[in-house]
Amino acid sequence: MQKSEEQGFAKTLGQIRDAMLVPLLAIVTAIILGGLTIWAAGGDPIAAYKGLIQGAFGSANSISETAIWATPYIFAGLAVAFGFKGGLFNIGAEGQISLGAVVAALIGYALPGWLHMSIPAFIHIPLAVGLGMLAGAIWGGIPGALKAYTGGHEVINTIMMNYIALNLTSFLLNGPMRDPNPLNLSARTPEIALSARIPPLFNIPGMRVHWGFIFALLIAVLIWWILWKTTLGFEIRTVGANPDAAKYAGINVKRTIVITMAISGALAGLAGAIEVTALNYRHELGFSTGYGFDAIAIALLGKNNPYGVILAAFLFGAMRNGGTRMQFLTQIPADIISVIQALILLFVAADAIIRFIYRIRARQEQVVLTRGWGG
Amino acid sequence: MKKLFTVMAIVLLASMLLSACGGGAAPAASGGAPDCTKAFCIGDVTDVGHVDDKSFNQSTWEGVQKAKTDGVADWVQYIETADSKDYAKNIDTFAQAGYKIIVTTGFNLTDPTYAAAKKYPNTMFIGVDQFLSKDKDHPDWPLPNLVGLVYNEDQSGFLVGALASMMSKSHSIGGVFGTDAVPPVWRYGEGYRAGAAYEDKKNGTTTTVTNVYHSDVGFDKTFLDPPWGATTAQSMIDKGADVIFGGGGATGNGAVDKAAADKVLAIGVDTDQYYTLPEADAYLLTSAMKPIPGPLADLIKLAKSGKFPNTGLYYGTSGYAPYHDTAKLVPANVDAEMQALLKGLSDGSIKTGVPPVKPQ
Repeated sequence: MQKSEEQGFAKTLGQIRDAMLVPLLAIVTAIILGGLTIWAAGGDPIAAYKGLIQGAFGSANSISETAIWATPYIFAGLAVAFGFKGGLFNIGAEGQISLGAVVAALIGYALPGWLHMSIPAFIHIPLAVGLGMLAGAIWGGIPGALKAYTGGHEVINTIMMNYIALNLTSFLLNGPMRDPNPLNLSARTPEIALSARIPPLFNIPGMRVHWGFIFALLIAVLIWWILWKTTLGFEIRTVGANPDAAKYAGINVKRTIVITMAISGALAGLAGAIEVTALNYRHELGFSTGYGFDAIAIALLGKNNPYGVILAAFLFGAMRNGGTRMQFLTQIPADIISVIQALILLFVAADAIIRFIYRIRARQEQVVLTRGWGG
Repeated sequence: MKKLFTVMAIVLLASMLLSACGGGAAPAASGGAPDCTKAFCIGDVTDVGHVDDKSFNQSTWEGVQKAKTDGVADWVQYIETADSKDYAKNIDTFAQAGYKIIVTTGFNLTDPTYAAAKKYPNTMFIGVDQFLSKDKDHPDWPLPNLVGLVYNEDQSGFLVGALASMMSKSHSIGGVFGTDAVPPVWRYGEGYRAGAAYEDKKNGTTTTVTNVYHSDVGFDKTFLDPPWGATTAQSMIDKGADVIFGGGGATGNGAVDKAAADKVLAIGVDTDQYYTLPEADAYLLTSAMKPIPGPLADLIKLAKSGKFPNTGLYYGTSGYAPYHDTAKLVPANVDAEMQALLKGLSDGSIKTGVPPVKPQ
């Protein structure tokens, strides 16, 4: 990483351009194809996209809702991206999110009762969020340890851990943690105490965007810093690039794998904990289904870069949020959003299609060079 | 660049082919929405899922559409909810566009609907299957602009229980239900028992009623477990039951299908399941009905004419579905008794004796 500052800056710009070109073209192509699908089904694609954009950015409130959607996507996208950087595929974000939410909810509603006292917010919030994060870290760390010390593949084990987490959550929300209100017909916890709630950013009724969103952005910066400015990050990336070389270079590969998965799980746990403490104020079965899987798409679209993840999370959040207005204005089912997302993912994953359509030469070598060994 | 155009042309062509195949399947884009601040518009917010789910979302949307075809509403529109955190936003979308009535579907929307009714006092809200009472979470209930459309499931259960008891040759009948922690499910089950007992007393018979609730699993599974429904129905049939009432979503459907497969009379629930479980048609005796479209359209009519109930709750009519294919099995005196029971229940001369919630 020895390079002069100006040269580095120009290079960074070029790198950003190169890195963003394929994802941007993938998005554009997916939107065109999505539009054609709408048109083919008898809808008006222009009206649909107008509704989508209006719904996502048309007013201060809709931007606030987009940020709300983006928040868990940023955390979960970072979780998956962090794993990818270490050469690990964390499919378990779904379960880690769920456990993070359960623990945050439990601490949120039950702790004051256990201690027989009210807890000030500056202790209660960090405790709820922190323990939720810890739950995610443990849930991610277990498959990490299995991978490091027994060779059990993390893809299989994170999927298995998902089943355990989701069924455990189902048991807890239906049983010991269920809201005891006799009118409650759902599998959900009681509401968390006021002292455990992360406040909204603005004191405007109806505007729900909360400090958890700012926190997500800060965490993204922190993850970037860890990955590219610390020894740990260097080790993680080296293990990701080539575990054998890393081992030869004296890096403790096993330890690094466990740490990578634990941090990845912690980030996913945060996604759940923040949703509970800042938005829903309780955990409910059915909430957050699919975030952990959307996160894989977000990480890929963001090229596993924390800032890329923020942008990708925003895009996905905007589409999910704008879908309502699109449906309201045109009666086009919001499922079309899933089609567009799937197309984006297809084009990002199989970027040869995009390179072929738009005649872009692959410049992968250069990216790899500058990333690893300083050009 | 030439190549680029070629590729784009191919893509275009492919999608045109696609349109030829798939054309006409989707709803036409809805231009022509009137200005809802002036016109009488009704919005329908579904629970997570689709409006054609063959269940509550669909029945509710049918009721809303009925208001349009009856000439009550100028414009009706739905929003399908994709995620539970969008409930409030979806309701807001209608309210801010000036919709006069907003209908929300299912008990999951109870709290968001209550909150929206407080936020938009000039909009009328109808919560389908949303039972509320004054408590610490809902201190201002009943609100003048919020009505929950609810049902006396015990009456529907009573009717089919009476029919089952009269039709049973072995004097042993069974009921397979979702969890009894959900009051409507419990009311169906206990109504079923009460109806059988009522006819027993009248005819001097003794009918064994075996009710099993699927309370051993979570809320997320209890209504979605057809195999459990089937095995439970099977064990009842093995013990001699010759009428099976399946009450509880897919779980109950599993029981109904199993009974029909074993050539045992079956009873469906909520809607006329003759249309939703065609495999069971030959043995489907009736269904315990909780019809949404009719009562919902009536309620909308009341709202428009300024007679919106201010009691917070509106009870939809209960009933039982036609016998359809099994009509030839039902003797005339049994049918006459059923009609007498329906009349007696609706005018209050017959009581089911089932309390609204399970005693703790």
